[in-house]
Amino acid sequence: MRLLRAWAAGLPAYLWSGWGAIASLLLFFAAWEAVSLVYGPLVMPDPRSAFGTLLGLVESGAAWPELAATARRALTGYALSVAAGSLLGLLAGLSMTASMMSRPLVTVLMGTPPIAWLVLAMLWFGASDGTPVFTVFVAAFPVIFIGALQGTRTLDNQLRGMAEAFRLPPRMMFTDVYLPHVVSYLFPAWIAALGTSWKVVVMAELLATQDGVGAALAVSRSHLDTAATMAWIAAVVGLLLAVEYLVLEPIKREVERWREHGA
Amino acid sequence: MNVFDRLAAKPLFMCSFRPFFLVTAIYGVALLLGWLGFLAAGVGVPAVPGGPIVWHAHELVFGFGLAAVAGFVLTAVPEFTSTAAFGRRVTIAMLLLWAGARLAFWLSGAMGSMGEMLAALLNSGFMAALVVLVAPRLWHDPERRHLSFLWGLAAMWLAVTGFHADVLRGVYPMPWVLAGVGMMMVLIIVALSRVSMRIVNDALEAERLRRAAQYTDGRTGGLSRRPDEDDDELLDYRARPPRRNLAIFGVALYTAVALALPGSAISGWIALAAAAAVLNLLNDWHVGRALLSRWALMLYTVYWSMALGYALIGLSLLGVPVAPSAGLHLLTVGAMGVSIFGVLCIAGRTHAGYALDTRPWVQIAAVAIGVAALVRAASGLPGAAAAGLQAMSVVAWAIGYGLAAVFLGAVFVRARPDAGTGCEEVMEDVDAKA
Repeated sequence: MRLLRAWAAGLPAYLWSGWGAIASLLLFFAAWEAVSLVYGPLVMPDPRSAFGTLLGLVESGAAWPELAATARRALTGYALSVAAGSLLGLLAGLSMTASMMSRPLVTVLMGTPPIAWLVLAMLWFGASDGTPVFTVFVAAFPVIFIGALQGTRTLDNQLRGMAEAFRLPPRMMFTDVYLPHVVSYLFPAWIAALGTSWKVVVMAELLATQDGVGAALAVSRSHLDTAATMAWIAAVVGLLLAVEYLVLEPIKREVERWREHGA
Repeated sequence: MNVFDRLAAKPLFMCSFRPFFLVTAIYGVALLLGWLGFLAAGVGVPAVPGGPIVWHAHELVFGFGLAAVAGFVLTAVPEFTSTAAFGRRVTIAMLLLWAGARLAFWLSGAMGSMGEMLAALLNSGFMAALVVLVAPRLWHDPERRHLSFLWGLAAMWLAVTGFHADVLRGVYPMPWVLAGVGMMMVLIIVALSRVSMRIVNDALEAERLRRAAQYTDGRTGGLSRRPDEDDDELLDYRARPPRRNLAIFGVALYTAVALALPGSAISGWIALAAAAAVLNLLNDWHVGRALLSRWALMLYTVYWSMALGYALIGLSLLGVPVAPSAGLHLLTVGAMGVSIFGVLCIAGRTHAGYALDTRPWVQIAAVAIGVAALVRAASGLPGAAAAGLQAMSVVAWAIGYGLAAVFLGAVFVRARPDAGTGCEEVMEDVDAKA
């Protein structure tokens, strides 16, 4: 409750500090406008026509089914990798041998370009939802796995020793010693993985499916409709920015707060 | 004693801000009354190159505005850099230069190219003299913490010189006045960051005392203090450089791009970015109830006018049907008008040996100037009764600066009430006697 109140009290200042981010974004739009002025609307439509097209897509109702399909695939793959990555990473972190063994494997997973997985997935799953979901899963899994692994590996043994000396009940041991530490590693990994999922799913859809934002991008590309292309890109990036700054970042600040206090 | 020495011995020339702030207030009223005459009957404005609107803009930014800037800088720079105040001779020479520049510009239409040349020399020379006077002190200051004033003043000199160069070339010179407005906004941000440290922290101190008093009352009256009140103890206000620098960057970039590519959508986005950056600056200002005190609130509204002004300019450049002059006048009448009024009240009184004014005329004048800004901006909205609203705005402005001329003028021409002999702030012995 106290945490919630502290969070609510800091919220207006946090939201207000968003003006700085908005200022940077607006400067980016100015640069975008300048590029479109130099190269012409066929190469780069100006921001207003891209947003106008996006508004048209939203108002006509054409945008929602595509965004929903993309979100469904991204979130399914993401949920699978969060579950598998967190669990396996935590378990691997408990044993020195397991973490030694898993590191090279994770490096292999991280090093394989998502496009290679996509080709494999297209062979295995065809044009079904399985292709983007699998690609998202494989791209996001190592990020979360590494976070979870480090979370358990870096547990403070002295802190655990002290907790044991005080005969902390197992439940308190979990919620007060292990959880805050592990979550502070896991959470940033989850956020990074969400960004990856969101990008990879669009790429997978572009090549492998008939609907979703990626497929819509493929269509607008074939029509040489750069305004629609920019509109879809703006929609995807805008959604990611909104989720990251309005939902995840405030939570992350709360989760990581204890570290700053040197607890 | 010759005439000059007798004049220089008057209290009015005890410190540089005194004559400059006095002419700021008087000239502010006179210019707008002349403008009202032009709006109503087409009289009251001298013929200058570029026409009446150029006269109106040039004199308000480079005449009225720069008089206030000169008064502030000539007083504040010696204080900030812990160097000796500028003497009475410097003050009188600068004032004569300023007055000569005004006269030359007013007559520049009637005197032909000779007049234009003279106006260029005197106006550009006034700004150059100001830069030359303060540059060594700002530069030799050990940490060079106040160099931003120097860059702002130098850019302002460029705007003044650019204006007159265009007049001499026969080009429409208005873009340079707009650049001057941008530089004025930068100087306001820089100056207010210094002034606000004191004003907002004074307000916070008053708020702490109020809370402490409430606490004692609560104890004697049997009421207990809210248990969590210790948690939100009032922290000191700091005008943090990163946010300020972002705001200055946004405003300066807009000014430069608007000068290079007038009317382009690129500058529209940058104007919106400048508005967001100025709003971002206000994060430092959200200190709770202390913000509602008279002086803090006055300075706070300066930033709001600035942000809304740039937002309206940006929207207008991006095709929203708002007259570009609506946003511009929020910057000039609102941000510049209110901040100059605030500086006149705050710096003007404390450096003349008086405590801050607590009389109600201050609120009336500040509200009048704020109303002038809002009404002038509203006249640029689609479907507004422009002429009536503009006349109303002029009258409100004249009331605000008229009150300033009367109440502050009395302070500026009078000797100090304490033992001070120059620009010192209120001296302690007065408090002891009182």
